[in-house]
Amino acid sequence: MRVLVVEDEPDLLASIARALRDEGYAVDIAADGEDGLFKAESWEYDAIVLDLMLPAVDGWEILRRLRRANKTVPVLILTARDAVADRVRGLDSGADDYVTKPFDLAELLARIRALVRRHVGHARSTIEIRDMVLDLRARTVTRGGRVIPLTPREYALVEYLALHRGKVVSRTELYDHLFGEDDDTLSNLLDVHVSNIRKKLGHDAIQTRRGHGYLME
Amino acid sequence: MNWVPRSLRWRLQLWYAAWLAVVLAAFSSTAYSLVRHNRWRHVDEEIERRFAALTAVLRPTVPGRPPFGPGRPDLLPPGPPKPSSPREPREPPSNPDRRLPPEVGAHPRGPHAEGSPNWLPTAALDALELNLFKTRRTESAFYYVLFGPGGNVLRSSPEAPAVSPPPTSDHFRDQVRQLDRRREHVRRLWAGFTLTVGKFADADLRELERLRWVLAAAASGVWLLGILGGAWLTGRMIRPVERIASTAQRIASGDLSARVPVTETESELGRLAATLNATFDRLCETLARQVRFTADASHELRTPVAVVLSQTESILARERSAAEYREALEACRRAARRLRHLVESLLVLARLDAGANSEERCRVRLERVVADAIELLRPLAQQHELQWELDLQPAECWANAEQLFHVAVNLLDNAIHYNRSGGTIAVRTGETDSQVVLEVADTGLGIAPDDLPHIFERFYRADKSRARMDGRAGLGLAIVDTIVRAHGGTIEVHSVPNEGSRFTVRLGRAIGWTSRADENPVNCEVVEPGCKPAAAVDNESSTSQPKGCDHENLDRRDSGVTRQQPGAMGSGEKAGL
Repeated sequence: MRVLVVEDEPDLLASIARALRDEGYAVDIAADGEDGLFKAESWEYDAIVLDLMLPAVDGWEILRRLRRANKTVPVLILTARDAVADRVRGLDSGADDYVTKPFDLAELLARIRALVRRHVGHARSTIEIRDMVLDLRARTVTRGGRVIPLTPREYALVEYLALHRGKVVSRTELYDHLFGEDDDTLSNLLDVHVSNIRKKLGHDAIQTRRGHGYLME
Repeated sequence: MNWVPRSLRWRLQLWYAAWLAVVLAAFSSTAYSLVRHNRWRHVDEEIERRFAALTAVLRPTVPGRPPFGPGRPDLLPPGPPKPSSPREPREPPSNPDRRLPPEVGAHPRGPHAEGSPNWLPTAALDALELNLFKTRRTESAFYYVLFGPGGNVLRSSPEAPAVSPPPTSDHFRDQVRQLDRRREHVRRLWAGFTLTVGKFADADLRELERLRWVLAAAASGVWLLGILGGAWLTGRMIRPVERIASTAQRIASGDLSARVPVTETESELGRLAATLNATFDRLCETLARQVRFTADASHELRTPVAVVLSQTESILARERSAAEYREALEACRRAARRLRHLVESLLVLARLDAGANSEERCRVRLERVVADAIELLRPLAQQHELQWELDLQPAECWANAEQLFHVAVNLLDNAIHYNRSGGTIAVRTGETDSQVVLEVADTGLGIAPDDLPHIFERFYRADKSRARMDGRAGLGLAIVDTIVRAHGGTIEVHSVPNEGSRFTVRLGRAIGWTSRADENPVNCEVVEPGCKPAAAVDNESSTSQPKGCDHENLDRRDSGVTRQQPGAMGSGEKAGL
């Protein structure tokens, strides 16, 4: 999952990014509105954490331009503006959630998980595929009641495919959603991860559609 | 008194109607009595004319006439009856039924009544009757009756009704009486003879009655019209009041944008509306500023707290390296410092707003306070490679030294922060006849004209975002402005974009002090080490300049500053306070 955090307070931006990376997200950061808007329009994110009071372009404007461009990416507004009028305005402008500072990091992470899940049409926090169970909250995969140890990147790959179960996911899309802008990605990195996952979960866990991408059924 | 309408409009209406009714009644009754008076006077004149003619005929013949000449008509009580006399109850009370004495008989016909004495000038009377008493219309006819000394009718005109005999009293002279529908003059002639001349007044009474009705109808009509006009007028007059009331109600119920529609500003209500609108504007502005200030303050306070929370939570989520811990702790320290700075600035503002400290003013040598501030900020300026251009002439003012220090530090800090590297800061103090002047000029970015009117507003930042690199919250100039205004001074800013800005503070000069006291001018007892001006420096220079200008350093220097003020601590001198 790839998340964009737009926040002009550097210490806050750093801690949110760190927490999200710890959770296995690929995180892009933007310290002002201009950068944030550019990134939000250029990439497909699974969620955007957006501050409202930003230099250059403010959060309202970013949200407005995104929605006008028919981007459906879930947006969570993270702001110190706690007035009811602002919450209403934020949600009505197309935001999916509204969190006021100071916030609880655990709550913020849970809300981002929920946003990502909902966005692909899952209400529950577990996904069951045959005898395999993904716990999106604990970020674990169990097969036959046994926890399979996966690296964060491997888990992220499985999670993404599981959330888009039944759909062929292209390699480009996987790259876009699993690697942040700062990650050095090699062209065959994805193949390495897929091969490792197959070793751990069984060969039939991920199917390859040559020329199209990967699929989990 | 619940039935009295409370509405101003209806009360006005009620009073108006009542007053109009009184005026109309007074007018109508005056008009009526004038007309009636004239009518009766006219009738009386007619009667009197006939009376005179009769007397003239009778005088030479009636026996026992007094020895004065016939040319003396004033042997009778002279003059026509008084206008008010018809109303007077002159009628003898002894004749309620107006029954005629038996010897008179009913309506004696013809000029010669029964027992008329032969001395009567019958021919002359006949002629007179033909001239003056004959009329075709009996309802307004004149008549006369001549009574003898015994009350017996000697002669009467043909139309004469049954007239009651005159009073027999010797003192009776004359009487004007109105009875039934006639008006009569009764007068004792001489030797007991009495003449009654009268007129049937049906027509006159009917005329007067009609007049009464006409007047009543006209007055009612005018009254109704007046009420309608009054209602229209009061409605018109009261409409602005209602508009004001409804506007005030809308504002009271939350629609702060409501304003009284003002069509003209000449009338009292127009002026009131304009004044109210101006008041509403100011209130809304104050409210908006307050709301904005609260929002800004909460925003500024929440952000560092959010940093501390998220940093600690994310760092504690699992085991980290020492470098990561250090980084998180530094972030927390920055946030905490910003919080401290913000809280202190807000407290300074709050105290200023509450009007505190005004009693702690004393005579202050402005140039020394500024010199202290320059010393405090010199390391910071050095890091920006800035040059000082100092022209500190003696300038004494009556002020709170601590607050003045805030002003100097904030202005200088601003000049440093917004300067270009290698620029200059020009500081000047001096005195004019009535003012002391502090001027701080930089060679920096300048301020955009759009921002210029707002730079003294709290939390105002030209770039609309948190230029957080140095922890500025946008309170420094607001504090400066508040302090200067609290001292009755003024602050001006002149700025050219990309050339620099010049802030000029003017304060009232301290006068009336002997030069003896000048020895220790800055010596109010307010200074306490460690709880002083760094609070109001609107930046957190330590975040970017760990060397030399750490906040602790600021504090230490503060204390140094206060110690430099001669006699500040414990000397007991209070500059004559």
